[in-house]
Amino acid sequence: MGGSAEVLPGFLNGMTVAIAGIGRTSFSRSSGRTTKAMAVEACRDALADAGLDAASVDGMTTFQVNDSAHPMEVAWGLGVTELAWANSQYAGGNAVAEQIAMAAAMIEAGHCRATLVYRSLNGRSGHRFGTVEGPMQVEGDMQFDAPSGFLVPPQWFAMWARRHQSVYGTTSEDLGAIAITQRNHAGPNDHAVRREPLTMDDYLAGRFVAEPLRVFDCTSEVDGAVAILLVGEPLVADIRSTPVWLVGSAGSQGCSGWSAWDDPTQMYARTAGPRIWNRTGLRPTDMQIACMYDCFTYTVMATMEGYGFCEPGQVGAFFAEGRATYGGDVVVNPHGGLLSEGYIHGLNHHYEAALQLRGQAGVRQVAGADLALVSAGGGPYGGANVYSRTKP
Amino acid sequence: MTGPESRLEPPIPLPDVVSAPFWNWTASGVLALARCADCRQWDHPPQERCRFCGGPIVFEPVSGRGTIFSFIVNRRQFVPGHPPPRVIALVELEEQAGLRLTGLVGAEPERVTIGSAVVASLAPVGASGYMAPVFDLA
Repeated sequence: MGGSAEVLPGFLNGMTVAIAGIGRTSFSRSSGRTTKAMAVEACRDALADAGLDAASVDGMTTFQVNDSAHPMEVAWGLGVTELAWANSQYAGGNAVAEQIAMAAAMIEAGHCRATLVYRSLNGRSGHRFGTVEGPMQVEGDMQFDAPSGFLVPPQWFAMWARRHQSVYGTTSEDLGAIAITQRNHAGPNDHAVRREPLTMDDYLAGRFVAEPLRVFDCTSEVDGAVAILLVGEPLVADIRSTPVWLVGSAGSQGCSGWSAWDDPTQMYARTAGPRIWNRTGLRPTDMQIACMYDCFTYTVMATMEGYGFCEPGQVGAFFAEGRATYGGDVVVNPHGGLLSEGYIHGLNHHYEAALQLRGQAGVRQVAGADLALVSAGGGPYGGANVYSRTKP
Repeated sequence: MTGPESRLEPPIPLPDVVSAPFWNWTASGVLALARCADCRQWDHPPQERCRFCGGPIVFEPVSGRGTIFSFIVNRRQFVPGHPPPRVIALVELEEQAGLRLTGLVGAEPERVTIGSAVVASLAPVGASGYMAPVFDLA
């Protein structure tokens, strides 16, 4: 492990929790299934992957925006009759890294032996974020954005991206280089929903949704589920998969909302980035893989800067020059990301990182993959985890 | 694809006890924002007490003058009542650094840039009876 370790004492520095199993359903545009059924399948898949039975699980957690299934119901479907810990957090992609950190912390604190983190959604056929199905009367702080119709994520991220373009001179082509690189990565991934090649001409000809963002800057909404099974060190000897160790986790949940945030050229990663490197004693250059949360291309741009992979304004060139793909500095989203594999709210990034660190990613395997950063969230709020193939 | 149905009315605010003065002021034709009676800082969206010092809040009229901090152009319809194209700006008011409002801009997208000076007026929100700030290039 490189870097000058300024390792903080306590939480998650015992490095005693590993990903023991990963599971998922197929990703589709219309599952025809319930979110509970898909959650159960993904959890069962993760348990089978680890070679553990359902009775091993004593903690379950998920995050959702009123579109998932509750842990106790999913557990019952799995054949589990009782849980020591059942948690459901009302949150978006900003919570993914901390969901896994929480599940690990429950193990380290001795509350649980094995915890499942899952996310299940009919994100395309069911509850589509920002979809309007009736008259809208908007409460809370967003009531002031109701009159202009400034109410959905593509608009918020576009507003921030415009600011970055103004301050750093970044361009559509810079965002396009991100979309194209990730689409190339999705090509050989038979789990991805968008695999057809994307050229810069295609990207630039894509229709604008909220200018400056085009359709190719936006995530691919899908139906599906992913589950990650975490176990403590005492159980690692019992699993049949290769353990992938959680090295550290850091988050930064900004409280300003989208309009009062002081500098939209930067996201939460300006704080979470230094925090995770200080906490783990690692650096961006130690990572072979970066699964960067990519609800929009601009999220990748701003967080690549925040986590220290690039100087401000250099992310487009970093991608265009091949430094974010195989043979470059770090492979960003080898599965195609949320943009091309599909939007399982970022939990599929953790699946991919584990698959890669085990050396089981097949044709898209990143050679020598030992460390991965996986980020979660965008705008004011998010976090990241670092995983290692080698026990730290 | 379930899109925003054109027959639906545009989104409207649901005032609460803290925000009601804002909407009462706009209904009377005045743009007024929350301000601390003690430390005199402006704050938007409003809080029940000042988020800087915990002091009592009063609503006071603002100039409506500001600059475009950032803006987008809706090229598809996201919500009812807002057919594209539509320019939405995040406007920083001259009263205080960081004091920002979102609002529609009454100008062709090509004429709008970050840093443009704008001035607010009040316009009806559909047929709801609410009035909300919109911006014109100054």
